[in-house]
Amino acid sequence: MSGNLFCSAIVGKKDKIYRYNSMFLDSQPGCITEPQSGRSWSGREIVARVGVRIRHLQGEGLCRGERVFVLYGNKLEFFVDLLAVWQLGASLVPIDGRLTPFEIENLARAVKPRLLLVDTPAAASTLSGLTALEGQVVDTTAWDVAENSDPLGGRFHSQAHLDDDALILFTSGSTGVPKGVVHSHRSLRARWMALRDGLGVEAFRRTLCLLPTYFGHGLICNSLFPWLAGQDLILAPPFSTDFLMRLGWLIDEYKITFMSSVPSMWGLALKASKPPAAQSLQRIHCGSAPLSGHLWRQIQQWAGIKEVFNAYGITETASWTAGTSVGDFTPEDGLVGVGWGAVVKILKSSEGHAPFDAAEQCKAEESGYVWLNTPALMAGYYRQPELTDQVIVGGWFLTGDIGLVDQRGWLYLKGREREEINKGGMKIYPADIDAVVERFGGTKEVCAFAVSDPMYGQNVAMAVVLKEQDAPTIRALHDWMKRHLAEFKMPVRWYRVESLPRNSRGKISRQDVEAYCARSAPLNLQSILSSQ
Amino acid sequence: METEQRKTALIDFLRTIQRPDCPLQEIDGDLSLVESGLIDSLALLQIITYLEQTYGIDFREKGIDPGELRSVNAILEFIGREAAA
Repeated sequence: MSGNLFCSAIVGKKDKIYRYNSMFLDSQPGCITEPQSGRSWSGREIVARVGVRIRHLQGEGLCRGERVFVLYGNKLEFFVDLLAVWQLGASLVPIDGRLTPFEIENLARAVKPRLLLVDTPAAASTLSGLTALEGQVVDTTAWDVAENSDPLGGRFHSQAHLDDDALILFTSGSTGVPKGVVHSHRSLRARWMALRDGLGVEAFRRTLCLLPTYFGHGLICNSLFPWLAGQDLILAPPFSTDFLMRLGWLIDEYKITFMSSVPSMWGLALKASKPPAAQSLQRIHCGSAPLSGHLWRQIQQWAGIKEVFNAYGITETASWTAGTSVGDFTPEDGLVGVGWGAVVKILKSSEGHAPFDAAEQCKAEESGYVWLNTPALMAGYYRQPELTDQVIVGGWFLTGDIGLVDQRGWLYLKGREREEINKGGMKIYPADIDAVVERFGGTKEVCAFAVSDPMYGQNVAMAVVLKEQDAPTIRALHDWMKRHLAEFKMPVRWYRVESLPRNSRGKISRQDVEAYCARSAPLNLQSILSSQ
Repeated sequence: METEQRKTALIDFLRTIQRPDCPLQEIDGDLSLVESGLIDSLALLQIITYLEQTYGIDFREKGIDPGELRSVNAILEFIGREAAA
C-alpha cells in the first residue's frame, strides 16, 4: 500500500496539502463534552486544536512510524492528541494512568516510545526519573494555554498510510513481557465501517462514554466509532461512581441516545440511580464480561428500552464484533447473537490448522472453540510474531472463548480458555502478578488466580510460598507489590501455603490452586498490616 | 438505634470492606472514604446494600446524592434524616 491515507478530500491537488478532516468518517468529528468540567469543544474547534498539537508534536521531533505514550485519557485533549499523532503518521499508545512507574517503565522498554505525554507536572517529574526510559517525557499542560487558532489552517499533508500502525493497546504483560495489540488504520476503519453498515449511526447521535479510553471497548467502539462519524460524545471519568449513582439524571441532562457499559457498572447504577425519564435513550451495549440474562432484563427495565445488547468484543478484533441486534430475542445467559462484520466458526480444536478442516467444525448446538474472521483483526502483537502465530491462522483468530452456535445461527458463549481474571470488565493477567511477586526476594513460589466477587464478578487472589512465613515478610511483600503493581491488580485474598499443588506432570494449574485454597482461610491482611 | 450505636455499627461494617492497608482508626469522620483510599469506589454499592438492609431504605425510589455517602459523618447524617422522615 502506498500513498497517504487521509488524502481523499482533494486528491489531485498539486500542492500536496490535504485537509485533515478527511481522516474523519464524516465531514468533521462530533462535539465532545465533559460533564465533570463543563468543557465542550465543537468539531470545528477540535479541528483547529489538532493543528496546534501537530505543531507541538513536530517541535518535539515526532516522525512517521514512531510511537507516543499518552498517560491521560477521558478528556478532550486526549482525542485532539490522538488525531494529531495520527496525522504525523505515528501510533498512539494509551496508557492506564493507574499503572505504577515500574509498569510504565517496563512497557516503555518494550515499545520505545519517542514521546510520553503527561498532563501534570508531578507525572512529568516521576517519569523523568525513570532511567530506562528512552523517550522524552512531555508535559502537555503548557500546550493547553497556548494559542488555539490553527496555525495550519485546517490543512496538513498527512504522513499516515492505511497500513501504518495506529493504536497499540496493552492487554497484559505490564510487569513481564508486554502484549501489545497493534491496530492499523485499516483494521480500525474496517471495524467502524462494519458497525456503521450494521448498526447505523442514528442511535449514536449523543453517545455517553463511562469506560476508560485506554481500553479497546471504551476507545475504539464507545468513543471513536460515533465521534469520528460526526456524532457527539459525552465523556465522563472512567467508571465514575458519582455519575453512575446519578446515571438517570446524566442521561436526561445530556439527552444521551447511546451508552456502552460493562456489567459491574450496573450494580451501582441500578441500586442508586433513578431511571432516566426524558426518553432520549435508544440503545445500550454491555460487554467485556459475561452478561447474565437476569442483569440484562434489569437494565432493560431500568432504561425503559428493549434495545439493550450484549456486545461481544475482543481488543484483537477492535472490540464489538458480534451482538444481539437480531430482531426479537429474550435475554439469556451467554447469548451474543450474530457477527457484526465478522464470520464466527465453532471448532473442536484450538490448533492452528483447524479453521480450514471441515471435519473440525462443530455442529449446531455443539460447544467448541470460538474462531473469528474479520477485516478488523489486529496486525499482530507488537514485535511478538510467535505469539501472534499462536492466535492467527490464515486470517482466522482464536478468541480463547468456548461457545456454540444454535440452529438459528446465534452465538452463545459458554466459558473461556484464556488465562485472565475479568474484574468488572478489566482484564487482569495472573502472570503479571506472579512476575512481581516472584521478583520479591522472600518468595519461593506464587500462583495468582481468579475468585468470585459479588461486585466485580471476579477478583484477584494468590497463593504464595514464602521463605519466611512471618508477618514482617508478608508486610514487606505487600509493600513491594504496592510499589510495582497497579492498585486494581492487587490480590484481595492471600493464601500462605507450604507448597503449590501440582498435577502428575509436575505442572501448576491455576484452577487446581484455587480449589486447593478454597479449603483454607485467607490471611487476615488487615490485622497483619496494621500490627507493624 | 442511637447515633453512637449507628456510628459503631457503621464503622464495624466499614472494617469488613476496607482495603487492608488503610487503618480505619486513622480516618477522620469527614474524610472521603474513596479519596482517602479506605474503600474501593465500587464498594459504595456495599454501603448502599448495608443501608438498605439495616435501615430499610429503598434507593431506587429516591435515588441518592453521591455526597451523602462521601464520609462516615455524611452517612450518619443521611441515616439520621431517613430515620426522622
